[in-house]
Amino acid sequence: MPISILATKLHLPQPRPNGVARPHLIARLEAAQHCGLQLISAPAGFGKSSLLSEWQASTQQQVAWLALDEGDNDPSRFFSYLVHAIQTIVPSIGGAALSLIQAQPQAIEQALISLINEISGRSESISLVLDDYHVIENHALDQALSFLLEHLPAGLRLLIATREDPNLPLARLRARGQLHELRSADLRFSLAEAQQFLNNAMQLDLSGAEVAALEARTEGWIAGLQLAGLSMQHQPDRQSFIASFTGSHHFVMDYLLEEVLQHQPPAIQQFLLHSSILNRMCGSLCDALLPSNEQTGQSTLEYLEQANMFIVALDHERGWYRYHHLFGELLRQRLQRSLAQQTTTSLEALHIRASTWFEHNELEIEAFEHAAAANAIERAERLIEGKRVPLQFQGALLPIMHWLQALPTSVFNQYPSLWVTAASVWLATGQVNGIEQRLQAAEQALTRHEQSPKFQDLIGRIAAIRGTLALSQNDAGQIIAQSERALAHLALDNLSFRTSTVWKLGYAYQLQGQRGAAKHAYEQAISIGQRSGNLVTVLLASIGLGNLHESDNRLKLATTTYQQVLNACSNLGLPAANCGAELGLARIYYQANQLDLAEQYYQRALQSAQLLQHTDREVACQVVKARLLIAQGQFEQASLLLEQAQIAAQQHRHTTQHAKIAAEQIRIHLLRGQIQAAQQLAQSHNLAIGQAQVLLAQQQPSAALAVLKPALEQAQANGWHDQQLWLSLIQCLGLAALGEQGQALQILTKILITAESEGFVRIFLDHGSAMQTLLASINPQSAQAAYRDALLAQFASEHPKQLYPAAPSLLDLLSQREREVLHLIAQGYSNQAICQQLHLALDTVKGHNRRIFEKLQVQRRTEAVARARELGLLSQ
Amino acid sequence: MTNYQQRAPEAMIYQICLRGQLDQTWAEWFAGLEIVALTNGDTLLVGLIADQAALYGLIKKIRDLGMPLISLMPLNSTTSSFNPHEQV
Repeated sequence: MPISILATKLHLPQPRPNGVARPHLIARLEAAQHCGLQLISAPAGFGKSSLLSEWQASTQQQVAWLALDEGDNDPSRFFSYLVHAIQTIVPSIGGAALSLIQAQPQAIEQALISLINEISGRSESISLVLDDYHVIENHALDQALSFLLEHLPAGLRLLIATREDPNLPLARLRARGQLHELRSADLRFSLAEAQQFLNNAMQLDLSGAEVAALEARTEGWIAGLQLAGLSMQHQPDRQSFIASFTGSHHFVMDYLLEEVLQHQPPAIQQFLLHSSILNRMCGSLCDALLPSNEQTGQSTLEYLEQANMFIVALDHERGWYRYHHLFGELLRQRLQRSLAQQTTTSLEALHIRASTWFEHNELEIEAFEHAAAANAIERAERLIEGKRVPLQFQGALLPIMHWLQALPTSVFNQYPSLWVTAASVWLATGQVNGIEQRLQAAEQALTRHEQSPKFQDLIGRIAAIRGTLALSQNDAGQIIAQSERALAHLALDNLSFRTSTVWKLGYAYQLQGQRGAAKHAYEQAISIGQRSGNLVTVLLASIGLGNLHESDNRLKLATTTYQQVLNACSNLGLPAANCGAELGLARIYYQANQLDLAEQYYQRALQSAQLLQHTDREVACQVVKARLLIAQGQFEQASLLLEQAQIAAQQHRHTTQHAKIAAEQIRIHLLRGQIQAAQQLAQSHNLAIGQAQVLLAQQQPSAALAVLKPALEQAQANGWHDQQLWLSLIQCLGLAALGEQGQALQILTKILITAESEGFVRIFLDHGSAMQTLLASINPQSAQAAYRDALLAQFASEHPKQLYPAAPSLLDLLSQREREVLHLIAQGYSNQAICQQLHLALDTVKGHNRRIFEKLQVQRRTEAVARARELGLLSQ
Repeated sequence: MTNYQQRAPEAMIYQICLRGQLDQTWAEWFAGLEIVALTNGDTLLVGLIADQAALYGLIKKIRDLGMPLISLMPLNSTTSSFNPHEQV
């Protein structure tokens, strides 16, 4: 869900027209251009932001600006703003990083890598200012920024303005000469600057001694000097003011603010105090806040700006302003005091007015924040829902979390939706513990409320959240049960919950092998998602459809689907969708025996997979890579890789990958002649295909066919076309081994039709020489001869592999003559007839019979024929 | 139950010294801490602070006012040997 971005946070502040120029500091900032980090670290009121705005207006460098606030402790919001700030200079970069962080809020480092790579490839040089960095308390963000500084691309440098030294590796950067600092000692006004400020900028015309006294009293603290200047503008007797101020021990700001306020008309005083509750303000908002003001909000703001009253313009249009943070802080303290002395207005009432204005102007997050500050629970609860999307998905995660944390349980019980919001917020931060308890509390609370459409929707949301919890466990039954319950209760217009719920349903059906139902759900998710603009879900559902096409042996359709997803992702960079599509294409190109292409897509899929923590994607990639290695004859490497994959799958409970890993391990064992090990694996995983392969290798084709039969019936009944294809192909091998050549070729011919139209190659090659032999015996005149030849050519061009030893030892045991005799026995020839056929004496034939029976360890002619079939001797 | 046990176990009395004088109107802003003006023109904030988080919150408030912080000291009172409940 995209984070709402306020342009005022990215606005480049303009220097004050009559401010004091500080060329020596600007020169220092310019001279330190080579430093990756410039730190401007000093207490409030030392002119940090003013200096940077003066610098940005004069420098040749391209400057991006981000004014931070408490809400930016949410990593995804911080990062979204960071990218948008950079985009003010290079609009085309950061799209991939942005969608990555939206899909995976915890993956900030990966998103940074993407951003760093993009900036490295550009010629622009960007200076990014992070103002008010002291509000950042989230250590994850300090770490992310340290990472950025460690890998800083040549085209980017950071300027951080802060009231306290940030938790970054400053000592290391200092030692490497990569850090330039301006601190309070550098920023204080010198006597000359104080003089210039008071006499030129403030036009006070003070004597040198007076300036010196003020400079000493304020210790060059700029905010103090500015407030002193303001106070004196209205003082008839400056001398006595200076005397009493410099003689007082009072905290400078406290003393001076009183002076300044007292010299303002009551309406302005009230304006200053009341508007101090706003983090940003415009004329119309101030009018709403101060109804007695008679629509003078805009002109008052302009007056304050002109009067140098610690007010900062946040855009070029003189629309939005804010107070200097220090001044605002002092005003709020005064406001609290003044409200305590009267009963006409309360702080809560002011916040409600602000909240109402923001709501009418569709600034939902700020509307909520003021409702929360007013502790207007009903209002806040309603606003969290958002007009289209709940606010926690728009970047208000932290304010909502903080508000909820402060609420007593009784309020949650009174407003059960708050329990559900809490569960959803905590789920969004990846904290799975405690979510179920909150959902149960919500249900408990709902029992005490009467039925209404809203409560129905809440029941739906509770189920949807439980569905998401079940998703992380791959618990298909639970996902389906919860998602169906959710869909039955969710409001029809709650599209954001509905889309993701329908997608979850598709995923669960796919896990269960209910492919028809899965396909239906995915198609529905795509249709709702397209209507509601939920592109992420549309892409994930498309990947699901691609998987289903693969399962239906429709490789061409699957290829098209995956390619469409990749096209749609190209400027989105959604790793889950990228990985799904790339992995699918790797599998399909593998199947087409285009191993180079398969390898390329595998590499790309692996990169995407590594961005996705807590999923089985990396393991799924390893399985594909193992297939590639096996095809290249690198069994040892494939085996090692599968072992790693298996350990990872066990550790992270990626249960759906176990069977896929085992299937490849069985193939390796068979290729290495380790039949016993293959057998153990096939049995412990209950793999029909694996067991049939093992039985073929043990030269027990009848047993193999017996295993295949029910599996084939099951696959047929469920419409599992891919399983059917695999099973029938092994069936062919079994039949051929039994000497049922005709039946084997009949099935093989049918398989070839599908294989040719969809481009299956490796499914044949992977069965090794047994399949080669069988294909070779297809009639060269048949309709499938061309594809047969193509496949045989592919066999010829790769290293021969043997999964199922064709009893070579026994074959060698029987002499040419004995084999001839055996064939005739099998055709029902009597001993006499054999004599005639082979022109041999009867005793000689009987001697051959005896030796054949001995070697095959049988007593009778019929047994000999059965055993010979079993061993594949008659098909040779 | 005795009074001292109802306090959070981490609660401690702190004495915080700031440069410059603040009057009593700031008491509420500083969460009810007592404000004492020192003769040298500095200010002491004294009172029970619930835990480390509250302490850091307070320091942040001071930082955001731009007031120079001179010292910060915990005072041992809860383990006073005069309190009979504290005898072990």
